[in-house]
Amino acid sequence: MTSPESKKPEEKIGVFICHCGTNIGGVVNCEKVAENISKLPGVVVSKDVKYACSDLGQEDIRKAIRENGVNRVVVASCSPRLHEFTFKKCVEGAGLNPYFMHMVNLREQCSWVHMKEPEKATQKAEDLVKMGVDRSRLLTPLTPREVSVEKSCLVIGGGISGIQAALDIGDKGFKTYLVEKEPSIGGHMAQLDKTFPTGDCAICILAPKMVEVARNPNIEILAYSEVVDIEGYVGNFKVKIRRKPRYVIEDKCVGCGVCAEKCPVKVPNEFDCGFGTRRAIYVPFPQAVPLKYTIDKEHCLHFKTGKCQLCVKACVNQAIDHKQEPIDIELNVGTIIVATGFDTYVPIRKGVYKYWEYKNVITALELERLINAAGPTGGHLVRPSDGVEPKRIAFIQCVGSRNIKLQHKYCSRVCCMYAIKNAQIISEHTPDSEIAIYYNDVRAFGKGFEELYHRVREDYGVEFIRGRPAKLTRDPLTENITIRAEETLLAKITEREFDLVVLSVGLIPAAGTSPIQKMLSLPVSDDGFLQESHPKLRPVETAIEGVFICGCVQSPKDIPDSVAQAKGAASAASTMMIKGKHIVEPLCASVTNELCVGCGLCTEVCPYKAIELKEVDGLTKAVVTEALCHGCGTCAASCPQHAISQLQFTDDQILSELTAALGSTNGAKDSAGGG
Amino acid sequence: MGEVEKVFTSGLAEKLSEDKIITEDDLDPEFAAEIIRYGGKDVMTCLQCGNCTGVCPISLKIEYKTRTTIKYCQFGMRKQTLETRWVCATCYRCYEHCPADLNPAELMIALRHIAIREGIIPPFVKVAATNLLQYGMTVRPDEAMIKERVKMGLPVLPQTKPGWEEVKKQIVTIIQTTKYDRLLGIAPKEGSE
Repeated sequence: MTSPESKKPEEKIGVFICHCGTNIGGVVNCEKVAENISKLPGVVVSKDVKYACSDLGQEDIRKAIRENGVNRVVVASCSPRLHEFTFKKCVEGAGLNPYFMHMVNLREQCSWVHMKEPEKATQKAEDLVKMGVDRSRLLTPLTPREVSVEKSCLVIGGGISGIQAALDIGDKGFKTYLVEKEPSIGGHMAQLDKTFPTGDCAICILAPKMVEVARNPNIEILAYSEVVDIEGYVGNFKVKIRRKPRYVIEDKCVGCGVCAEKCPVKVPNEFDCGFGTRRAIYVPFPQAVPLKYTIDKEHCLHFKTGKCQLCVKACVNQAIDHKQEPIDIELNVGTIIVATGFDTYVPIRKGVYKYWEYKNVITALELERLINAAGPTGGHLVRPSDGVEPKRIAFIQCVGSRNIKLQHKYCSRVCCMYAIKNAQIISEHTPDSEIAIYYNDVRAFGKGFEELYHRVREDYGVEFIRGRPAKLTRDPLTENITIRAEETLLAKITEREFDLVVLSVGLIPAAGTSPIQKMLSLPVSDDGFLQESHPKLRPVETAIEGVFICGCVQSPKDIPDSVAQAKGAASAASTMMIKGKHIVEPLCASVTNELCVGCGLCTEVCPYKAIELKEVDGLTKAVVTEALCHGCGTCAASCPQHAISQLQFTDDQILSELTAALGSTNGAKDSAGGG
Repeated sequence: MGEVEKVFTSGLAEKLSEDKIITEDDLDPEFAAEIIRYGGKDVMTCLQCGNCTGVCPISLKIEYKTRTTIKYCQFGMRKQTLETRWVCATCYRCYEHCPADLNPAELMIALRHIAIREGIIPPFVKVAATNLLQYGMTVRPDEAMIKERVKMGLPVLPQTKPGWEEVKKQIVTIIQTTKYDRLLGIAPKEGSE
């Protein structure tokens, strides 16, 4: 008596050896391989084709399925990274489960690397196809899972990138949450004076966008808030956000500022890089959105002594509440955009440029605040040491960038142009100033950049000195700085004295990025920035489906590029949300409950938090969240009970290939044994 | 200038002619690779920022510029480079400051190795090596210096101490076994001074 399980449907394997023009066919004898393969058991179709991926080639495959009853397809051609999707769709079109299609790489792994040995390459190709044929016998039909996608998006980071992404998504009609850890959105762009290459005032072009965000009915701004936890998967993220207490009731505060006038505490203003002061109750800058005051608990007298109530008494709307507690909220979103931006590089202590030791050495961001009309000096550039206007100013480029010793190998992209831009602004303001820029290369690559570079030399007489400063010394009486450098174009070592030195510091990933990166298991590039899916063709996607990145968190860039990338990320996220559902590839780990003992080793090694211990029928078992699983196989390898298998890459399937490889005849055996 | 100083600063003039146009015949395309074999790091990655020259104590005093040496090596100007790079004090300040993590000091040492093998040996090297063979020390103090030391009550130099002859014999053995004397073209001395 035969049980139903013992009667397997007969495998009918169709094998297609692709010439790929001359890529494969020029080295491998495809006709010979096809002929030899046709002799293997179960192979009902074995032919060579010129271009398997072409319409004709695909039609060949479909014909074989329809007319010859082929139910396993082996395509021996290029790398699956190119055409796996093409061939999967092809067999699906003929009514066969796409997971019955297996690809063998005869190009990157055979013809291209053995171009000078066609005979051996042909033998290797035959071996590879044999392995593929044996594996195809063990393939199982898998069904992709569909998950629904919530039509809402979380944008983390309220700088120009986050703002633009939120605007684009909100305009499409999706609910958007914009989370920002500072009391106001705006990011670093709000700190800048004028922007290159046009000289547009930064806050003048930013503030209207900030107001648009506030006005958009689909966008909810969660300022002075931080993301504390993210769980879930594409289409269904559960996000916990902590709303930090402003000690001001947002609904009652109208932003009049009377409280700040009365506040007796003055602290250095972070927005002004420590140059100006603010009160303990403050808004970071006048155009803040939302325009709500915040009490800095660390410096507020009331929290220290319990006594001061000046702001409480001053506020006509009774908006001050020193007893406020943080509020935790939970959101359900379908997609996430990470736009946490950059911080500027902080020079090391006792470094060559003496940033911490000399008063008149400042960073470019500090300069922005000093030349900004809304800054602590009303836009008049003064020296930190004596408040006098500097006439001779030096810019030093590539500080913290392009430096292997500092582990910042990359170029920060914006420093050449911002130094040129700042040189122009200072020259406009102080016509008799003498400005020198110590550079290694001038990177003026963008639209309008070279023109500005030309202009500062022609109209403003800015001097470009090629050479990396070797030593900075200070005159103790005047606090002037002398820069010694080899001017490489003169091949002479020179020393020049300046009143002020500005370090063009590079960009590093913002400090707030790291916790988000860990929560989402986002890959990080060598340079420390978040990694995109593909450096050329997928700049805003990440390895985690449903999570997108844009702006400087991906790599240093200027405002136009940040805006463009934000729009890209918004579009990518919106595509998912418009569809409302997302196909999850079934190539994931599969737990056999009967074998699983619930030890939890797999949960410790999974890089994506895709496997957890859960109660199943009263017992602790490992359970896979398929939408998070990337099919890496780490859990399967770690399981001491062999309870986990990696679908499409099971032990049986892999071992079948090895058996085919080891059991096959190779060239040496043939010639030695004579047949 | 004392005798010692004269000896050690002679024969170090720049020989590079600035009027000549450099053509391919003047260049050696394999030079950079050869330098790597002799211990210099990959000179091709040098950005020519000039920081090494800026910190170099020697570059301050003479025409020699650390950065230009590296440029010549990148370019393949073998002849000029090998004759003129002997003043490096190997203080390693260039290595400390280089943003591309290169080591110009090691490069100078590599160039010296290559130069010696080609027979380009500045006079002071021959003098120092001869002194080593003859007296067991590279810098031989002259009579005036010894008199000063005695006057100041300083101990006299090793060459008059007992047991020194044994040490000297060992030094000579090392020089002769490693064929250092043959490399430099100086004849070994028989016996002791």
